[in-house]
Amino acid sequence: MENLPERNLVGFKPPPKTVWTKRTKADFRTGMLFLSPWLIGFFAFTLYPMLISLYYSFTIYHSKRSPEWVWFQNYTDLMTDDKFWISLNNTLYMVAIAVPLGLFASFICALLLNLKVRGQAFYRVVYFLPSIVPTVAGTILFLWLLNPQVGLVNTVLEKIGIDGPNWMADPNWSKPALILLGMWGMGGTIIIYLSGLQDVPQSLIEAAELDGANWFQRLWHITIPMVSPITLFNLITGMIGMFQYFAQAYVVGGGDSLGRPLNSTLFYSVYLYQNAFLFLKMGYASAMAWILFIIILLLTLLLLKVSDRFTHYSG
Amino acid sequence: MTNRASSPDLNLDRHTRTSAFSVRQTRKIRDLFTSTLSHGLIIFVGMFFAIPFLWMLLTAFKSDRDVFHTPPRWLPHDNVRVDINGEEYPLYNVKTSDGVKQYAALKIESGVAFFVDPADPDVVIPTELQQGTERVAQAIEEVSFRWQNFPDAMNRGSRPGVGASFWVYFRNSLVIAFFTIVGTLVSNTPVAYAFARLKFPGRDVLFVIILATMMLPFQVTMIPIYLLFNDTLGWGDTFLPLIIPTFFANAWDVFLLRQFFKTIPEEMCDAARVDGASEWQIFTQIVLPLSTPVLATVTVFTFLWAWNDFTGPLLFLNSPRNFTMALGLQDFQGQNTIIWNQLMAAATVFTLPIIVAFFFAQKTFIQGIKLTGSKE
Repeated sequence: MENLPERNLVGFKPPPKTVWTKRTKADFRTGMLFLSPWLIGFFAFTLYPMLISLYYSFTIYHSKRSPEWVWFQNYTDLMTDDKFWISLNNTLYMVAIAVPLGLFASFICALLLNLKVRGQAFYRVVYFLPSIVPTVAGTILFLWLLNPQVGLVNTVLEKIGIDGPNWMADPNWSKPALILLGMWGMGGTIIIYLSGLQDVPQSLIEAAELDGANWFQRLWHITIPMVSPITLFNLITGMIGMFQYFAQAYVVGGGDSLGRPLNSTLFYSVYLYQNAFLFLKMGYASAMAWILFIIILLLTLLLLKVSDRFTHYSG
Repeated sequence: MTNRASSPDLNLDRHTRTSAFSVRQTRKIRDLFTSTLSHGLIIFVGMFFAIPFLWMLLTAFKSDRDVFHTPPRWLPHDNVRVDINGEEYPLYNVKTSDGVKQYAALKIESGVAFFVDPADPDVVIPTELQQGTERVAQAIEEVSFRWQNFPDAMNRGSRPGVGASFWVYFRNSLVIAFFTIVGTLVSNTPVAYAFARLKFPGRDVLFVIILATMMLPFQVTMIPIYLLFNDTLGWGDTFLPLIIPTFFANAWDVFLLRQFFKTIPEEMCDAARVDGASEWQIFTQIVLPLSTPVLATVTVFTFLWAWNDFTGPLLFLNSPRNFTMALGLQDFQGQNTIIWNQLMAAATVFTLPIIVAFFFAQKTFIQGIKLTGSKE
């Protein structure tokens, strides 16, 4: 019993044994009635599809023909599928680089937006506005900005004497281009950080100031630990989101040449979509979905476990 | 008397005042320095967010030629036009033997332009545009916003012969967003109320389950749901697969609403209970009316999500008549030649309702985001 974690993420305790009096029965009925939209939805759109999808993942299933049970063949085939590894690699690149970079940048932006200067409300709107631009519109805008010949970015780079890359046309630069696009729309994360910064007790910072701590020391020893739960939240949601990165990559591919150039934007979800709806290999795609689920599950649990050591919870 | 008595005090006061003054002054200078530095940094980083956005807006107003002007320039320019016999022609600076003259170009064909002097429109002067390395004619331009791009973009059938224009996509997006909002509000509120306020066996286990579903990637359920809606129910190429699931609650909204419902004083509900009100009455007559801020937040979030959604429409909608803005825009981009100014005009129209929603609900919007972020 001793090695059970004391604090649980959602404060779940095993429910006490219930005595089913008339009263509890009535309560139960009311509760279920109120919950019924979700209960029906959970069975119809979550649990049932999950089980079916798990079943499909063990079958060869070409949409119109009925599924044929093949045990682990999809999974073993995936292990020798080059495109599977390319797509996983591309996705891990984004998770490992775009997510931390985005967190760091949005924290810096939140620090800036938390400064006491005049016109801060306006600045906050400016930083936040791009994040409400619809994904497809934003992606197309970046295709335009990053156009190697007439795009604004390369023109500016040229002015300061840099020969700009080909961005979306160059396999080495297509992912950095997408990272740039992602950072442009990180207003949501910035605001979550901002709210965290505003919750840091001013008294703590003033006390440190009296003790002679400089700005950087206060940041390092007070602010960063105080917002660590938010960092964890942003890290986990960012990672889960990045594993499912799809729309931007689909738009970059123009719909018919997914993954271009040279499979450099063939992300996991893109290849999964391709298998399911273009090649109609539903079983194969289902196996991919389950591998994705397991990766996300394991990484989330790992992050939660590791973060116990670094995350500071007040109260 | 008084003067004398107070003179030492005055001296002392003057002394301290001088030193206080200098301290205040250094402080002032330091404050000015920090504030300038802060503003500078905020604006510098802010340009990264502002410039692409402005570039989209300004491109939407450019003429076809101006879009590809090298080097790119900020404000949209267009040819100055003159009226000749009831028709408008672009004006050029043309080098002639008697110096530079302003001529209007009637037409330009394979390097030869047919100019006329606006003062004497009957004499046509054919001119080779390029003589050696020298360009003979230079278009005279002025800053001009081409509003026509917007109707052009909206009326443009991205697939000729189908009769689908951006107006149709716009309407489809609105219809889907509307029903999605209705479904989300109707289904999530009672569920959130049950988790926030009702006590019944199994509640905590179910709450853990609903939170756990947040971690499930959409890809896992995507294929069976697609087959269910598309093959089994025959709802392919309709809005139903996009709307119906929103009537069955989702973890994010339930969580958001539950957090809010928990802040409503329990005593009010207890008082109603003593008076014999049912849970449903308490929910609809006490809790919901007190929850307008969070309901507004959910509405705005849902609108944002539905308007922005790309994967759902991509899976279920096939014919351009049923496309949403997100799909329509993509269709636009997929063609061989990209008409950037119209595309940016369409993207602006796509973004506009979101901006409007944002300005109306700015406060609730940002607080809503805060609510998801902060601890209880």
